[in-house]
Amino acid sequence: MGMSVSISRFLAIAGVVFGLAPALAQAQGTTISGQVTGTGGEPVAGASVSIPTLRVGGFTDDAGRYTFVAPASATGTTVTLMARRLGFLPSSAPISLAGSAISQNFSLSPNATQLTGVVVTALGLTRERSQLGTAVQQISSSDLNVTHDMNVLNQLSGKVSGVVMNQSGTQGGSTNIVIRGQNSITGNNQPLFIVDGVPISNQDHGSASKGGGLDAAAEGGLGKDFGSAIDDINPEDVATVSVLKGPNAAALYGSRAANGVVLITTKKGSNTTGKVQTQLTSSLTWDKPSILPDYQNEYGQGAGGAFRFVNGKGAGVNDGLDQSFGPRLDGRTTGCTFVPGTPSNPFLPHVYDASAPCSQFNAPAGAPWVAHPDNVSSFFATGKTLANTLAFSGGTDRAQARLSVGSQQVDGIVPNNTFRKFNSLLSGSLTVNDRLTASGDIQYINNDNHNRAGTGYNSGIMEQFVWFGRQVDMSALRDQVTNPNGGLFNWNYNFHNNPFWLQYQNPGEDVRDRVTGNVSARYHIADWLDATARTGSDIYRWQINQDFGQGNIVYANPAYAGAYTQFAEYSNANNSDLLLTANKHAGAHLQFNATVGGARRFERYNNDQQSTPGIIVPGIYNSSNAGITPTLTSLVTRRQVNSVFASAATTLNDWWTVEVTGRNDWSSTLPAGNNSYFYPSINTSIVLSDAIPFLKSGLLSYAKIRGSLAQVGADADPYQLQTVYIGQSTKFGSLPQVTLDNSQKDPDLKPEMTKSGEVGLELGVLDGRATLDMSYYAKSTTNQIVNLTVSPASGFQSQVANLGRIDNKGFEALLDVTPINTAGGFSWNTTFNYSQNKSKVVSLAPGIDTYVIYSDWYQNLEARVGQPYGVIYGYKYARDDAGNLLLHNGLPQTGDQGVIGSIQPKWVGGWNNTFKFGPAQLSFLFDYHKGGKIFSVTNMWGDYTGIFKNSLQGREVDWNNPGLVIKGTDDVTNAPNTTRVTAEQYWESLYYNAEQYTYDDSFVKLRNLRFGLDLPASFASRMHAASVNIALIGNNLWTSTKVPNIDPEFSYSTGNAQGFEFATIPNTRSIGLNLRIVP
Amino acid sequence: MTNKYLLRAGAGAAILASLLACGNGLTDVNRNPNNPTDVSAQSLFTNATRQTVERWMGTTYNWRGGEFLAQHLAEVQYTDEDTYIRLARAYMTDTFDGSYYQELEDLRKVIGKGMDASDASIWGPAVVLKTWTADFLTDSWGDVPYADALASDSSGGSGNPVYDKQQAVYTNFFTTLSGAATSLAGAGGASLGSADAIYGGSPAAWAKFANSLHARLAMRLVNVDPTTASAELTKAFAGPGGIFASNADNAALPWPGDGVNDNPFSASLQQRDDYRISKTFMDILKGYNDPRLSVYAHTTDAGTYDGAPNGLNQTDAQPYIVSASRVGTIFFPSATSYTSYGGPGATLPSQLLTFAEVRFIQAEAAERGMGGLNPGQAALFYNQAIQASMDQWGVTDATAIAAYLARPEVAYQGGTAGLTQIAIQKWIALFGDGGNAWFEWRRTCQPSTIAAGPAATEDFVPRRFYYSQTEVSVNGANVDAAVTDQGVDNFGTRVWWDKPANAPTCAGVNLNLP
Repeated sequence: MGMSVSISRFLAIAGVVFGLAPALAQAQGTTISGQVTGTGGEPVAGASVSIPTLRVGGFTDDAGRYTFVAPASATGTTVTLMARRLGFLPSSAPISLAGSAISQNFSLSPNATQLTGVVVTALGLTRERSQLGTAVQQISSSDLNVTHDMNVLNQLSGKVSGVVMNQSGTQGGSTNIVIRGQNSITGNNQPLFIVDGVPISNQDHGSASKGGGLDAAAEGGLGKDFGSAIDDINPEDVATVSVLKGPNAAALYGSRAANGVVLITTKKGSNTTGKVQTQLTSSLTWDKPSILPDYQNEYGQGAGGAFRFVNGKGAGVNDGLDQSFGPRLDGRTTGCTFVPGTPSNPFLPHVYDASAPCSQFNAPAGAPWVAHPDNVSSFFATGKTLANTLAFSGGTDRAQARLSVGSQQVDGIVPNNTFRKFNSLLSGSLTVNDRLTASGDIQYINNDNHNRAGTGYNSGIMEQFVWFGRQVDMSALRDQVTNPNGGLFNWNYNFHNNPFWLQYQNPGEDVRDRVTGNVSARYHIADWLDATARTGSDIYRWQINQDFGQGNIVYANPAYAGAYTQFAEYSNANNSDLLLTANKHAGAHLQFNATVGGARRFERYNNDQQSTPGIIVPGIYNSSNAGITPTLTSLVTRRQVNSVFASAATTLNDWWTVEVTGRNDWSSTLPAGNNSYFYPSINTSIVLSDAIPFLKSGLLSYAKIRGSLAQVGADADPYQLQTVYIGQSTKFGSLPQVTLDNSQKDPDLKPEMTKSGEVGLELGVLDGRATLDMSYYAKSTTNQIVNLTVSPASGFQSQVANLGRIDNKGFEALLDVTPINTAGGFSWNTTFNYSQNKSKVVSLAPGIDTYVIYSDWYQNLEARVGQPYGVIYGYKYARDDAGNLLLHNGLPQTGDQGVIGSIQPKWVGGWNNTFKFGPAQLSFLFDYHKGGKIFSVTNMWGDYTGIFKNSLQGREVDWNNPGLVIKGTDDVTNAPNTTRVTAEQYWESLYYNAEQYTYDDSFVKLRNLRFGLDLPASFASRMHAASVNIALIGNNLWTSTKVPNIDPEFSYSTGNAQGFEFATIPNTRSIGLNLRIVP
Repeated sequence: MTNKYLLRAGAGAAILASLLACGNGLTDVNRNPNNPTDVSAQSLFTNATRQTVERWMGTTYNWRGGEFLAQHLAEVQYTDEDTYIRLARAYMTDTFDGSYYQELEDLRKVIGKGMDASDASIWGPAVVLKTWTADFLTDSWGDVPYADALASDSSGGSGNPVYDKQQAVYTNFFTTLSGAATSLAGAGGASLGSADAIYGGSPAAWAKFANSLHARLAMRLVNVDPTTASAELTKAFAGPGGIFASNADNAALPWPGDGVNDNPFSASLQQRDDYRISKTFMDILKGYNDPRLSVYAHTTDAGTYDGAPNGLNQTDAQPYIVSASRVGTIFFPSATSYTSYGGPGATLPSQLLTFAEVRFIQAEAAERGMGGLNPGQAALFYNQAIQASMDQWGVTDATAIAAYLARPEVAYQGGTAGLTQIAIQKWIALFGDGGNAWFEWRRTCQPSTIAAGPAATEDFVPRRFYYSQTEVSVNGANVDAAVTDQGVDNFGTRVWWDKPANAPTCAGVNLNLP
């Protein structure tokens, strides 16, 4: 039923296009055709070629070709043929209309500004920027590859307005990207990624802070961030990245457009008259941890001022403990423990036992008790990243191709950690005849990574360095990873694996083999009408193995020879679509663009996991060697979405464009009655400076306003309609075990809906020397498909339902100024971008005012009604009426829970500068995040364990006179506190206090810096190259933040659980060289 | 020419239409190939049994909760649970939540399937196990959702269940158990069969469990409502099918011990070594020269039996890692290392309810003249209870047992002193069931040496847990109503059967908190 209604709407739109078409067709006369290219020979699409006096003309297609017919009545006259395109200087040529075919090519010189030119928009269609009524920002290859980064997304950081990015705190980890705020309470808030017209997966296996990662599979949890699938794209293959900021620009993508679209177009071969061009890009960088905690070096391991190592499990004095409240690190050789018999109550007399030698895990009794200030930093190695891409491209007028091969070899900053990536991309196009063009590309990627560093609890490297002894000698652990009798050698045996053990004895490998490809054929039906059929797939297999050596603490059962977890994922997403695109001039004043099409998307996803805590023979990590029955899980999901869509745009006089779009989706994941949903959009743009010519002056060269309204729908995840039972692979003895799913499904789900409106202003002054692009938007997502937490007493943990509403509104601006551009070749370009987004959870379910997105250490990340999406909710200090801390026995007390703050930044921005002076270039980018809170578990435990410098406050060597009198009110006497406590008591009393450990996450980063030099042409020509550029590059060079001890920027995953930090491996600071040879 | 364009456009439209062929195919795509939409009652019952026993007799609630509160065990090293920091507030949330949406919901499904099949040998055991489970909820929290709970997918059910007063929950328990015992005693067949890992499906055995559980619950009310307690004890003792008559009748779940499904305490000991026998417990075991001592505890490195005080700060607790006794061989094969696995501990059955406890209940009922018994019968039941506990824990030395029974502290004295002896002996016998040992201490105040440790965040031993944070979040109005009925949501508020007016007073123990 729903379908027939929608089809009639679709046909109505189609009718507008086709109904008009015959009327616009021209009578026979002189056929004029040709190609419009740029000065480099590259085709210029969307150029208008016309004879103004006759009011006839055409537009160039993607290959830059145009053809139109001049009326027969004009035959015999000589007229001026004009080729014009925004962003280029117009060009004209006289032609004589003879009645027979005329060929006329144009070469246009660029006159581009930020506001003009061609951009890639929805469905991969190229559009004149001046005609766009929505916000799209395009980043070109040169901006993307200023410096090398492992992840192409990271190069967008600070350059695109409206986007909040958090790069992973771990090499090779996930980058979280949110465009214009989160729309969905529980669903995916990452944008859709499309490469050359085909959506590709950005699946991640990130970890949350406390173990996460493949937690479900393994009791111990791997706690590793395995990155996300978008990492596979080689930045050197990218020609442009278009960011469609939200539903308005992306409406034609339907279901997945609400979060915006990142549209990646790869480089293609061009007509080089048969010559093959070769391009080489190499970069080599050296990587160091950006920020390590600020450790104290005054007190060693232990508690209550005492320590003696016997077996590292508690047989000595405090030697099972993993904290640094032990004796002062003053080089003493005796007296690390108190005279026996005196209880270690800090308020009783204590006397260090001078007759007892100090004892450590790695040194003979009586070795001096000293700090190893570099014991954490010396664990890290200098990483090395070598990236090479070699590309060949070329073609004739009928066939073009490009082949690139790239490799990236990274030696991580933690020992024995490597990332290897190999990319190859072959693309080509063939003009079969005047009407048919076929093109395609295929890409193979192999990612092979070893021994990623664990984050968070259990296997985390930095977790160990938060629970640590400051006297621990890292070289002793490096030299002796295992004990002579097998098993690990370490400074503590209760809780920790030797950190080198984690990297060497617990082998981990993750491999992803991926093929993406698409083929398309375009048929040139008429001068103004093309049909394009395209099909493409993104197929990968992702295998993750994590082995645990014999003797590993946590997860591996010591009665066995080790343990393993394995994870295999297969994904195949296929997209096919068929498009009819019409591009038509009606006289010199009116231009029509229209598209109608249909698409089918089919996704198949398999996921198999197995794990066992016990294997029999050491070193054989597979199921046939399992001593304890492995736990197996498997999952298959499939999803299909069928769509029809249409858009029609009319441009009057090149300055006023109105576009309407409509799309209807039918999704497999919604129930039969609700699975069809239609969504329309309308947008308009007016180039004021052309519409009202007197506006144009010496100062103002360009002004455009735009506005848009859009609605997009979204379907559910597969299998959300029926509650099921879940079986377990492990039996109870021999008995099968089954349980009802804890999530109650909803057979009557409806699609989610996002409504969005935006207005924009684009200004150019002084011939484009300064441009400003601003947008204001407001959007609202309703009918959210959520798996809402319900009262557990109802019998379910959560319930799938259509509930709730989130609103986002915001402002974004991009200012681009070229203050200096001298004839002498000196120029300075500077851009600022600014984005602010205000989100508000307007409603959840009736009677429910909060949804817990993530929970850890008593603190929640919640979506609370009336608050921005993502607030940290946790315990605050107990206070008296006057706001003073309420103390009990001299120590702060935990009070009520409450909202501590939102993780959403108030605004983010970037400031990018490029200086050119002759052959030299200097560029640098500052990245700003203002506001937003984080909850730092690293600081919480680092204070507790007394290893951070701030925990020195109030420490006394004299244990009989402990050091701190906390300011506050005693809860019994109601008088100001006078009770003294030790620093240890104080710092250990604060944990799980969210008020204490939630920080303002504002930061400024010098994101990247590049100093490049074009080598002299004479040198280049000796290398048979047109240009050779060599550059010094740096990433993440400097950070200013108020957050102590950690890098303020981190992300464990692409999921919604952000803002909770624990023990991420620090971001890397990289410095290196880049070489680019262009033929 | 126009026609030619239209023809081509038409061809394109035809291809488009073929792409869009939609319809029933989409529904097929969304058919879940991973999970069934219906399963047998048997497979649900096995899982629910394993899971509820793991929950209430496993690590979080029992060994790192109840056993510290009941002071059978003390925590050394990080003492957050034993000082109540990590028992407070959100800590028991997952325990509370999961009990409902996991086991109780599954048991409800089993009951429904049994009722549909009119097969008491299916629904009966599920009802008894559900009651055993729900008792932990109400005795740990007080007012809890019960009659209105577990109904979100049935007609008229509520997504936000109301909290029943504890008295109503108990009334429901008694009615339910009486009904179940009657049906079970008369049931033919044993439809759960081997899927019932406790009794192999025997309805007669479940009838005895129903009556014995009825007696345990009735005795809980002895302070607050002695009349009901006595009446329900009478019903329990005379319940159809009888009560436990030997250790063979015990409701015990044996564990496969295959590394996946190990006795939960054994599994916990495989991961950590920060439990020692509590000084409170050790003093009594040693003081009475209890033959169970060598079963319950290991000797220390020094060859002695010593306990660790409860509720120390970690610095003070640390020396007891060496100087206090680990739990005994039956749980834990090595005295000095916790990295030894397997052994008898992995397969040791979890005791849901024992013959020994039933005899203690009978002894107390007799001493109080309740349940149709008289004080003259108390001593026999008491001695039988101790003997049953010895048998259960594998103590076979008859001479030692006789000597123990003859000791002045142990030999039954009758009267108030007798009630104290029964309470202490029951507490000793309940080692391994921290929840029930804690409930019994709250009811009897015995042993009187149980008190909060010096570093505890409260100066009293908690008398209930904080409500689930999830419930506070999503079912707040009903939680508020429960708090209004019962008292502020903290460790100090006493549940209905533990109201100070009726409960015994214990020296050094907080009696009447806000």
